[in-house]
Amino acid sequence: MRNLTVAFAALLAGMTLSVSEDAFAQERTVKITGFGAKSGVVRVFGINSEAAMKAGAEEINKTGGVTLGDGTKAKLTVEFLDDRCNAEEGISVVRRIASTDAFVAVGPTCSNVAESLFGILQKKAGDATDSGLQFPIIADVAAKGGLAKISEWSFRNVPSEFEMYKSLFAWVKSQHPNLKTIYGGVEKDFAHSNATFGVMKSQAETNGFQIAGSAEWLLNDTTFSTQVREMKRANADIVAISAHPFTTCGVLKEMERQGVKPKLLIGLTSSSSIETLQGCAKQAEGIIIPTSFAPVTPEAKKAAESVAKFGGSADLHSAAAYEIMFILKDVIQQQKIMAKPDTVQADRVKMRQGLAGLKETMGLLGKVGRTADREAIKPFLYVHAKGGSWQVLHKPSS
Amino acid sequence: MDFYFGLIQIIGVHTLLGLSAYCVLLTGQVSLAQAGFFAIGAYVAGMLTVIAQWPLVPALGVSALVAGATACAVGFPALRVKGLMLVVATVAFGEAVRLFFFNFTYQVQAGNIRLGPHGGEGFRQIRYFPENGWTTLDVMLFIWAVVALVMAGLWWLNRSRAGAVLRAVGEDELAAQSTGINITAVKISAMTVGGVIAGIGGGIFAHYTTHIEHVQFGVVLATFAIAYPILGGLSNVFGTLLAVIFIQGFLIEGLRFMGDWRNLLFGGLIVLAMNVRPRGLLDAGAMLALKRLFFSRKERSDA
Repeated sequence: MRNLTVAFAALLAGMTLSVSEDAFAQERTVKITGFGAKSGVVRVFGINSEAAMKAGAEEINKTGGVTLGDGTKAKLTVEFLDDRCNAEEGISVVRRIASTDAFVAVGPTCSNVAESLFGILQKKAGDATDSGLQFPIIADVAAKGGLAKISEWSFRNVPSEFEMYKSLFAWVKSQHPNLKTIYGGVEKDFAHSNATFGVMKSQAETNGFQIAGSAEWLLNDTTFSTQVREMKRANADIVAISAHPFTTCGVLKEMERQGVKPKLLIGLTSSSSIETLQGCAKQAEGIIIPTSFAPVTPEAKKAAESVAKFGGSADLHSAAAYEIMFILKDVIQQQKIMAKPDTVQADRVKMRQGLAGLKETMGLLGKVGRTADREAIKPFLYVHAKGGSWQVLHKPSS
Repeated sequence: MDFYFGLIQIIGVHTLLGLSAYCVLLTGQVSLAQAGFFAIGAYVAGMLTVIAQWPLVPALGVSALVAGATACAVGFPALRVKGLMLVVATVAFGEAVRLFFFNFTYQVQAGNIRLGPHGGEGFRQIRYFPENGWTTLDVMLFIWAVVALVMAGLWWLNRSRAGAVLRAVGEDELAAQSTGINITAVKISAMTVGGVIAGIGGGIFAHYTTHIEHVQFGVVLATFAIAYPILGGLSNVFGTLLAVIFIQGFLIEGLRFMGDWRNLLFGGLIVLAMNVRPRGLLDAGAMLALKRLFFSRKERSDA
């Protein structure tokens, strides 16, 4: 009897081992490739996106990974390529990714790159007369309005800046009825800053603010004395700066040097980041910025910690990259993507259909709506710089 | 393969840009205006195919003419100055062109969208290639047919009396003038030919990137334009091609896997290449060696 028990135990152990070996053999990896600027003035956005994608993949892998169409489980891995914020390089990077087994790519950082990339994609899915690339791309950072409209293969998980500034200026008007004039500053050669400045200006006028003038500078500029002198002369109640952290800090420091103290400061969404605080926390004190990310929910706090572990910082852009990893996981499972070399084109079509069919996704601040033209409607709030950190100032009801 | 075809497209267009600067460099002039002519070609060709719905080839013809005419017009005042002053003058022209397109808006309504250049936001939807069913291979073959034509033309020019005149002016202006060569006419002609080539290159560039905006045509592009022929060598047109392959194919694309280190290596390798081959990657000595190698093998095989 004892021998029988030992034999049974050995058989059981063998079976268990064989099962776990089978399970091990079936465990696969799916590579998600991101791309964006990892060099140049805006390199920090690429670094943060890569960290956020890796953090998202780690969280997904911790909970077992993703289930593929044939029932096997796969772990997600992330590769991130640098396009140097250059349209030609962006096209080359995407062609490189599309020449592999990848069924989706995440990126880019810069709106000018997205313009070109989305342009080389097939405009209408299934249009046999259009020889554009049939490859789904979902953008995390490129924030210029209306980009996803360019192709049915392009998607974005970026907030609507139009809605953000529409809400913000209405709120400012209601909270500060005594403020009448506004002066604008814009990083004129950067597509996102330039386009958003147009939104800021129109929303300011819509809400009855009088435009006292505007100053322009370039992304690579390092001196702003002339622009700030004009700003000082205008003596407006509000100064709205549509620029990224690097020149925003330059302008804010120059404003301090020249003693320009507006009653209210408004900034660009992209400047609600750690880089602004690292560069000019003192000068940025009080600046109000609408953002689609702040560590105010347990999920957002967890994401911020996780992104930091991978050497990045969570802001509205990298948070979008983090969310995208979970969106992709859901679509892979819903669409039963196989992730095999012989199903690449079918997987791409399924991924496109899956992304296009999304009506709502879960974001770090709550539910994110999806529009018919493949854009996101993200919840947002206003933050202001206070004591060297970003603090929530107001959360609009809608 | 699409990735490689795409890369070969980029190399082709940058070769045209480099060859446009090559023409001017032959006369001993350093022009940073090529990015401006390239921009003119890009916007003109883009507007003709998108707004006027022209086929691509005539649109490229017009873009070449407009860029060439501009180069000719710019050449007269600009080429009155020399050396560093010419560099400054041509940079100023390039920036003026860039800023013109930065402020230039001309859009027409097409259905529910507006098409055409839109100032600082650029000019999108230049989708002639995909809308007409051109594959990446088709585009690549088209670009290289154009590059081959231009290179053949310049190769012929190099070996003709006109080429000797260009080189004579480039080597020693005073000596050339004393032999009765009209220096101004030669320089303006070189500038015009350079403008024509840049115009064609820009026109193709607009169509394969599908979106153009002023920032793409700045000083960096102008620097690349003259870096190609200088790095490749002025002894013949293939030097420029070799330099473009080295920069676009190897330094930019080949080293992409190196991540952040790529940018450090980029500058270092260019400096190294210029130190190792100060007269260009394909200088007269290298060409002679290649000829000897080629002809001695041919003679051996004939024997």
